[in-house]
Amino acid sequence: MQHFEIEVGGRTRRVAVARTGDKFAVTLDDRTVHADVARIDAHTLSLVVDTECPTGATDPVRAAFEVTIAPDAATGQLIVGVGPTPVAVAVNGRRARRRDEASGGNGPQRLSAPMPGKIVRVLVKSGDPVRARQPLVVVEAMKMENELRAGRDGLVAELHAREGESVDAGALLVVVQ
Amino acid sequence: MKKILIANRGEIAVRIIRACREMDLSSVAVYSECDRSALHVRLADEAYAIGPSAPRESYLRIDRLVDAARRSGADAVHPGYGFLAENEDFAAACVGAGLTFIGPTARAIETMGSKTAARGAAKRAGVPVVPGTEDPLGADATSEEIAATAQSIGYPLLVKAVAGGGGKGMRTVVDPSDLASAVGAARSEAATAFGDPAVYLERELPRPRHIEVQLLADHHGAVVPFVERECSIQRRHQKVVEETPSIAVTPALRAEITSAAAAVAKGVGYTNAGTIEFLVDENGRFYFLEMNTRLQVEHPITEMVTGLDLVQWQIRIARGERLDVDPARALTPTGHAIECRVYAEDPDNNFLPSPGRIVALRPAAGPGIRDDSGATAGLDVPIFYDPMISKLAAWAEDRPRAIARMRRALAEYLVAGIRTTVPFFTWLLSQPDFAAGRFDTTYLDGVLKAQNGRPFVEPAAGVEEMAAIAAALHTALSPARPPANGGSTGGRWKTEARLEGLR
Repeated sequence: MQHFEIEVGGRTRRVAVARTGDKFAVTLDDRTVHADVARIDAHTLSLVVDTECPTGATDPVRAAFEVTIAPDAATGQLIVGVGPTPVAVAVNGRRARRRDEASGGNGPQRLSAPMPGKIVRVLVKSGDPVRARQPLVVVEAMKMENELRAGRDGLVAELHAREGESVDAGALLVVVQ
Repeated sequence: MKKILIANRGEIAVRIIRACREMDLSSVAVYSECDRSALHVRLADEAYAIGPSAPRESYLRIDRLVDAARRSGADAVHPGYGFLAENEDFAAACVGAGLTFIGPTARAIETMGSKTAARGAAKRAGVPVVPGTEDPLGADATSEEIAATAQSIGYPLLVKAVAGGGGKGMRTVVDPSDLASAVGAARSEAATAFGDPAVYLERELPRPRHIEVQLLADHHGAVVPFVERECSIQRRHQKVVEETPSIAVTPALRAEITSAAAAVAKGVGYTNAGTIEFLVDENGRFYFLEMNTRLQVEHPITEMVTGLDLVQWQIRIARGERLDVDPARALTPTGHAIECRVYAEDPDNNFLPSPGRIVALRPAAGPGIRDDSGATAGLDVPIFYDPMISKLAAWAEDRPRAIARMRRALAEYLVAGIRTTVPFFTWLLSQPDFAAGRFDTTYLDGVLKAQNGRPFVEPAAGVEEMAAIAAALHTALSPARPPANGGSTGGRWKTEARLEGLR
């Protein structure tokens, strides 16, 4: 039995995985499902999932899912594609930084470069007051200038972006507090 | 004509290679450093390296492209779209080197490629244009002079690159106090994207629809306009969804607007493929916007509803053939087609580019679906070029069925390793306003603002649970070989050992 703490959609779920014969029994919080897993390639799984029927009166529904799993360079999370829907998932404490940044929560907002590119403009100075959605830094990548905006009202607590500088994905640019 | 050099990359290079092969012509690819593994290099008959990844050092280097043509013995050059497709110096250099340029003449590119000169050509053909400056703003014009010009045109207005296209080098100005910075930003973006910082001002029409007319014109005087395409679904002036025919165009308007387009083309002696873009106001009045003197990104939907191959016709026209296309066929759509431009962008993060390695990719297929793509699993989406990875197009008998088919195709489109705009299209195509055709060029920016950063596809609870289960299984199994299905005894043993070891 292998245990995981998986953060998804702002909640931490406890997941246990056990092999039973050819199948995997996956316990999500207090509910167990049986999954037949076919690995299609390194990043694609086909799952046929029996949802355990509490009464045992009818055959379980064998629901088929095709999922893709790939790391997200900018956040270190896994992006799980369930059909066309990408779901950001943090396994065992790899915190969902991106969601925290996007939602204007109370904590400091750490604004990182979402892609490699060049800083073409820095629109704030350290200590400046900023409003939610105010553009802070302009990064040029893929021939377009992309504005990175504040996720919340606050002050520019840290400023690491310098005009003309090339940055890698995930590089910390601004902290708004 | 026996061998065509394709001076481009990505999906459009692949599209042109396909036409070459169907016509029994040899194809020559060119590639920059980061494109060595790109699909167009793998599919072409020959391939030549033309320099470093930055476009200015490779795909924009006329000398290296002409040299590659010479080395390969190509007798013609197809420029695709973007890069040098609308560069008159390139067209002239090709002709000067004895190559057939598969496109209009350098002179036509020069006339229509300058937005201001093109507006003059439309006026001379008796076609109304959007009010704006006759000439580019002077490079040394003071901000006071620019402000006075702007005042005479009226706000809101657009600052547009004279050499522009694709929404680059363009800014909307609502408040006169934003004018100077908008002109500065547009000039800088235009200089980067087109090598020409010149901009002009144009009145912004309220709630227009973007309707465009594809044309083919041969060297014997024939000009054939095609049924209109509607490209009103735009984000920051960049088309993201196109369809044909337009729900807003009546047969009478179609007759008028396509005749106007043909008149503009005839007036400048245009040849080969081109597209005239119009804005149509709420009263059904249309205004010439600009002409694209090349193959359009969205040409596949026209091919789907007319059954005509525009790239093959470009090649046939360039080698002197007569355009023996029945004009009625070009103007009479069979069914309806929609295209979604799939970008490597994260729609849930302000559409920021999402370059990186595509680790898994299975495009949609099946009835009525066409996927024009340069992407494959194992490829990096480079940071140097436009992040469009695919054009997904759906054809069906009518518009509602085409929408349903596109939604099916989007649900089928599997891509991992990068974010794409697929979830955004899933959302957009389920909007009642889209289904009803209630939109104009301001529609998408408006709904994106209203969305205010909320994800387009909110995962249902069941989907989040499935994602958690999948992440756990993936982590438990990695990097073991196929565990539950066809795995060797050794592989299973290792999986077991790993599961036991982590107990």
